[in-house]
Amino acid sequence: MISVPLFSVRDLHVWFELPDGRELHAVNGVSFDLHAGEVLGLVGESGCGKTTTILATMGLLPSSADVAGEIRINGEEILHGGEASVRPHRWRDIAMVFQGAMNCFSPVRTVGSQIVEPMKLHGIAKGAEARRRAGELLEMVGIPAASADRFPHEFSGGMRQRAAIAMALACEPKILLADEPTTGLDVMVQAQILELLASLADTLGLAVVLVTHDLPVVAEACSRAAVMYAGRIAELGSVDDLYHDSHHPYTRLLFAATPDLLGDDRVVSIPGSPPRLDREIVGCPFRERCDSAVAECATEEPALHLVGSSHVAACHLNDLIENVRQ
Amino acid sequence: MNDVNEELKVRETTTQSDPGAASIAEDVQVTPRPPVLEVKDLTTYYPINRGLAGRLLGHEAKTVHAVDGVSLRVDAGEFVALVGESGCGKTSTVMTILGATKATSGSVRVKGEEIVGRTPREMLSVYRHLQMIYQDPYGSLDPRFRVSDTVEEPLLVHGVGATKQERRSLVLAALESAGLSPADLYIDRFPHELSGGQRQRVAIATALILEPSLLLADEPVSMLDVSVRASVLNLLDELRRTRDMAIVMVTHDLSTAGHFADRIVVMYLGRIVEEGPAKEVLANPQHPYTKALISVVPKPDPRDRSTPQTLSGETPNPVDIPAGCRFHPRCPIAREECAKSDPRLRLSVKVRIESHRVACHLA
Ligand SMILES: Nc1ncnc2c1ncn2[C@@H]1O[C@H](COP(=O)(O)OP(=O)(O)OP(=O)(O)O)[C@@H](O)[C@H]1O
Ligand SMILES: Nc1ncnc2c1ncn2[C@@H]1O[C@H](COP(=O)(O)OP(=O)(O)OP(=O)(O)O)[C@@H](O)[C@H]1O
Ligand code: SF4
Ligand SMILES: [Mg+2]
Ligand SMILES: [Mg+2]
Repeated sequence: MISVPLFSVRDLHVWFELPDGRELHAVNGVSFDLHAGEVLGLVGESGCGKTTTILATMGLLPSSADVAGEIRINGEEILHGGEASVRPHRWRDIAMVFQGAMNCFSPVRTVGSQIVEPMKLHGIAKGAEARRRAGELLEMVGIPAASADRFPHEFSGGMRQRAAIAMALACEPKILLADEPTTGLDVMVQAQILELLASLADTLGLAVVLVTHDLPVVAEACSRAAVMYAGRIAELGSVDDLYHDSHHPYTRLLFAATPDLLGDDRVVSIPGSPPRLDREIVGCPFRERCDSAVAECATEEPALHLVGSSHVAACHLNDLIENVRQ
Repeated sequence: MNDVNEELKVRETTTQSDPGAASIAEDVQVTPRPPVLEVKDLTTYYPINRGLAGRLLGHEAKTVHAVDGVSLRVDAGEFVALVGESGCGKTSTVMTILGATKATSGSVRVKGEEIVGRTPREMLSVYRHLQMIYQDPYGSLDPRFRVSDTVEEPLLVHGVGATKQERRSLVLAALESAGLSPADLYIDRFPHELSGGQRQRVAIATALILEPSLLLADEPVSMLDVSVRASVLNLLDELRRTRDMAIVMVTHDLSTAGHFADRIVVMYLGRIVEEGPAKEVLANPQHPYTKALISVVPKPDPRDRSTPQTLSGETPNPVDIPAGCRFHPRCPIAREECAKSDPRLRLSVKVRIESHRVACHLA
């Protein structure tokens, strides 16, 4: 029996309308599945469309955005019905830690009272019970329960970030979309948060999409990961395959640009910048920065092909190798 | 103790200005220039909010000892990385140096001028040379300002660039060098129309446009992927080499600190517990806290899973600082004396590398 994935995204597209009327194609045909208890990494360069992808699945994009595709929770499609079909699921089934979450608290109310709010709103708990739970949630992310009575500005940046994670977990969601949840957190707290996410996935079957630009974090915390480039998925596979058996030059160069803690070599960036998303892209979007491009790369966009068991990549080189084999 | 410190500083300065030729005989050469930044015994305490109930019940007013006796010296062209656990006082330290948070005591000198106790007005001339990149590009960029306005602001405040046209080309150049390329694609946008890493690069462009002599940067590259991160850091590296810019960068990324910084300064509960040449501190950490930090750095290879030394014990609370060594309740090697006496920052007995200092009884 093939189980229905808990969360599934198919051929997702997002266009932003720019002030001058042109369109920016921020997400371009993204698909992935997520099962209960799984932690999927979403990685890629700044501006490649990670945040836009997950905001789209939460129905939280601004009105300047056009969205197409399919998003299913437990098989139920939630994109086409608009706000009315997402709302019952938002925060209850699918919750999100926003990028820059340390900035998401209102300055005039205590952190605890803000964590209690979604619980009240969704009828999970109220009064003393809700406050007790808020304290528990804070402890879970390593903040003393007593700090619930303090104001956001009395927290350090990292403490606010952790409190935002606690808030996202308040309604016991089945799916957590965490956008750079450990960005700017020191390695010790980062290790604790990643451990926490792993244990929630293990024990409660929480499914997590972990958005990050940090490959070592993905290697540490995720079983599979999708590497995005210019709004598309360039490669998706187990973290082991991505590191040891990558089938996309971009993934390879990303790992190569990750500095070693004790390495002596100069840290090299991938030369060039990603293509403009407000213009049509001909050929492979990575072509201009690729170290292995062939003639085809300039004319035809490579499609995602299976390159191993549950490992896909979009690069012409894979087809060439396949042809040689045949 | 002061003598040792003084001597060390002289050595550091010599090494700085003339790397490779620092022999004992040359120790006597003292660079006449004052350091770009000199912080002495800085403390920053915040009063804690007791709440109405607490006040009515007459609970004792408590303070958060966010920065608790930090001394730091940064020379022209030097790149110092400040690392340490969430809540240990890194942001408070840089915000106090900036004058945005009031120092409780101590001294901060920028290019020799004392700035503790100055009014914002009196700080204006200092800000011509001192720029800050804030920790959170979501909170620090004004949502009503277009990118062009944000980046142009320092030019207007300090009267740089005679014409609108001239300023616009400076803004475009600053954006390009911060990695927002092509800049004209971003210059007219509002912050909410940018990704996280793009906002962060707007903040970087804004801080660098005046080419400050001292840059305070609080997690400036946290939202940037490795590739963009490397190019921004290479830019900072170039600025310090060619323009003598001094940099204090708060970062959680130890690998980056090791590659780009001259020195790493490790903070724990408001204090510096270890400092030294960057690579030396990473390769040869002396403080048990630094050792634990390094052990939890994730590795890119998923098969390379060492056992991290996550620390047990309570998350440190800067309201009730433990007596003795403030790390002792979580320290894996603590002895009896650690609970009694507070170790001061001194040369490590074990490494004996100049300027590698540690605050631990057993190091
Ligand atoms: N409201 C908007 N209007 C126009 N363009 C937008 C808008 N929001 C995002 N974009 C653009 O869409 C692209 C994708 O942005 P997104 O925030 O998804 O990137 P990201 O992968 O999350 O990057 P980062 O790692 O920097 O956060 C970027 O080029 C960004 O400039
Ligand atoms: N305005 C304030 N009032 C009361 N306490 C504060 C205030 N600002 C910071 N603190 C407290 O001071 C301590 C140090 O905070 P700081 O922001 O300097 O930490 P940090 O090292 O920058 O941490 P992070 O890495 O999480 O950003 C924390 O315990 C924090 O809760
Ligand atoms: S398709 Fe061509 S240009 Fe694109 S990544 Fe593969 S080799 Fe490089
Ligand atoms: Mg983002
Ligand atoms: Mg901070």
